[in-house]
Amino acid sequence: MDFSRVPLDAGEQEFLDEVRSFMTEHVTDEVLEEERRTGSGFNERLHLALAERGWVMPTWPPERGGAGLDPVRARILELEMRRAGVPSITQGTTRLVLVAVEKFGRPDLTAELLPGVAAGTVRFCLGYTEPDGGSDIAAAKTRAVRDGDEWVINGSKIFTTGAQNCQYAFLITRTDPELPKHRGLTMFLVPLASRGVEIQAIRTYGGERTNIVYYSDVRISDRYRLGGVNDGWSVLHGPLDEEHGVGREGSAKLADLAIGTSFLQTLGRAIDSALAWAFTTTRADGSRPIDDRMVRYRLGAVAMHMEAGLVTPGPMGRVKGSDALVRGAADLMDLIGPSSLLSEGSPGADSNGAIEYAHRFAQGTATYGGTVEVFHGIIAQHVLGLPRPSYPGSKTLVSRKREQAAA
Amino acid sequence: MDRFELRYADYSLSGDQEAVRDAFHEFFAKECPAERVRAAEPLGYDERLWRQLADMGGASMGLPESAGGGGAGLVDLLLVAEEAGAVLAPVPFAEHAAASRALAGSPGAPAELVTDVAEGRQVLALAMEPIGAAGHQLVRQLVPGGAVARSVLALDGDTLVVVHADEPPPLAPNQGSTPLAWWDLGGGRRQDLASGPEALARYRVARAEWKLLTAAALVGLTERALGIAVEFARTRETMGVPIGSLQGVAFPLADVAIGISGARNLVWRAGWMLEHEPSEARRLVPAAFAYAAQVATHGATTSAHMQGGLGFTVEADASLYFLRAKGWSLLAGDPAEDVIAVADALAADADATAGADAIAGTETLAAAGG
Repeated sequence: MDFSRVPLDAGEQEFLDEVRSFMTEHVTDEVLEEERRTGSGFNERLHLALAERGWVMPTWPPERGGAGLDPVRARILELEMRRAGVPSITQGTTRLVLVAVEKFGRPDLTAELLPGVAAGTVRFCLGYTEPDGGSDIAAAKTRAVRDGDEWVINGSKIFTTGAQNCQYAFLITRTDPELPKHRGLTMFLVPLASRGVEIQAIRTYGGERTNIVYYSDVRISDRYRLGGVNDGWSVLHGPLDEEHGVGREGSAKLADLAIGTSFLQTLGRAIDSALAWAFTTTRADGSRPIDDRMVRYRLGAVAMHMEAGLVTPGPMGRVKGSDALVRGAADLMDLIGPSSLLSEGSPGADSNGAIEYAHRFAQGTATYGGTVEVFHGIIAQHVLGLPRPSYPGSKTLVSRKREQAAA
Repeated sequence: MDRFELRYADYSLSGDQEAVRDAFHEFFAKECPAERVRAAEPLGYDERLWRQLADMGGASMGLPESAGGGGAGLVDLLLVAEEAGAVLAPVPFAEHAAASRALAGSPGAPAELVTDVAEGRQVLALAMEPIGAAGHQLVRQLVPGGAVARSVLALDGDTLVVVHADEPPPLAPNQGSTPLAWWDLGGGRRQDLASGPEALARYRVARAEWKLLTAAALVGLTERALGIAVEFARTRETMGVPIGSLQGVAFPLADVAIGISGARNLVWRAGWMLEHEPSEARRLVPAAFAYAAQVATHGATTSAHMQGGLGFTVEADASLYFLRAKGWSLLAGDPAEDVIAVADALAADADATAGADAIAGTETLAAAGG
């Protein structure tokens, strides 16, 4: 057990200074303002500048386009990127997909793409959810039909965040509708520049941009297939487990324990903003909010749940992180009152609109990456060992139906 | 506090710590079935179990070797407290461990008392509120463990004292069947242990350690209560399916699991900080205690409720867990004071000068560890 500050040697300190001056130079107010305005989760100039230092794939060796960082330096970079507020959604999805590309991509495909990933020019987004499918991604209906050495893809995917900034979508398709639902799936890396791909923007009230992507008779070469035909579910497993925090418990001593950590950074900024309000506001009776025990109780409660979220492991941490943010941001709004409703830049708004933003942003965290209900199911079955529910559409019943049909 | 600070996040136990946990797990599993918990009611004290625990070193493990102890750290004690909590062991482990650590090493500690306490011949209890401080007197107090102790560690003004009685005062029967008793801490024979800043510091640490040990016990309690409910939900059927397959049952139980996993890590982190970085502990100790108290109240309620009417009967072991979840978490006062202490610590961090001014008038000893 060890929660101490990591002592830095001279070289590591120098690296930290280098990272901080990079962030000061490249993560400008303009970059942050652009991100607030577009909700893009990505900034190409910044991404390419990171890539130039090998910091898109920082632990890869320099000959592969990385920076060959050791775990301490890689963690320094990660934390300083967060501190600076580097838009990182697309970097995150690219890394998730990379797990499957490296494992299941053909040698010629990986040889082509991996250097591009490190160079910042190749980026991946997630083509999982369908407009009428929600979190049940194994129910995918988007069809891929073989035609010689090509596949023809038809269907649509929603919430493909970052599609406008990516070159490939990691697409889950139905290749055999006759098989039980988890078995007739195949994964592809679909070039988004292909004819028949149409990307339409969707805005959220969290300020983010995401997309619906239509695939109409999109023809792609078989070389973009990842893993076996109808074996897509096992290809998807690596990235999904990573996203769901499975196997994270007790992992590397420097990594975030909780997959809800990124949500909680938004809450942390909101708490800091509320604290500043509590110190600097003067009430009609001349007192400051921070002198009021009720105010401190409410601030303390939000902070307590944040501390709990930061140390809640695995799939539990995903739910706790979202829950602490959703409830905490709403409570901080109430605490501050009508001025908390004011948009950033409006006269009398809190210092940086952090609370108003957090309350809107929070709602998405309960959904993306799998809803908190999906995670409750994961916890119930895989952590508590409760029996699987039996739904009419679950694979047990599908196969039973098939047996009945056969008999 | 820097939210982006480079720190280790290593929650793993050492080989020695695993051995401690496993040994006490086996001990409590073997020696403390639910019948023994019931047999110890309403006092909540099984003297033979206490003797057995002391023979294993459980009474003295947290004392320095110079005081006849095992030299264990707080985290080791937290592991034992969680195991004791899981079986609702009717022994005053948290009070005794926290109070005796403050006693040993105090300049005025009577050698005979240290020996008795280390060997478990005497239970040492801990008064949760200062007897006297500027502007108030709190002589008559409900003391946890006080119904089985002849000595209580307390703070009087800026003096750490131990107050003695010839016999423990009578039990104050209570919801959690714990050995609570009213003590008149103003009278009786007393000995001064330390004074000034040292006395204050020792008392604060004792309270903080008691809170963490109790929080760890609550984590153990909640996990076992959940285990009982999960077992029930796996086997009980309705409409032809196990009730645990229904989201209306499974999801509330998952919520309990979410709380437990975070509370345990928060307690460990706070315990580690109390020993290594008191400035962090100032925020984390009250957060860990208040969170564990909430998780226990919610978890024991949910776990009993998921067993329907059966979980509401006194025959059900779930009832033992439900009654102690509240019965243990209120012994040091309203956990909301700890929630406020979290904000006090944040305020002090955010603006050292303004923060100190803001909380100077209201700071309580609940903000322990600092």
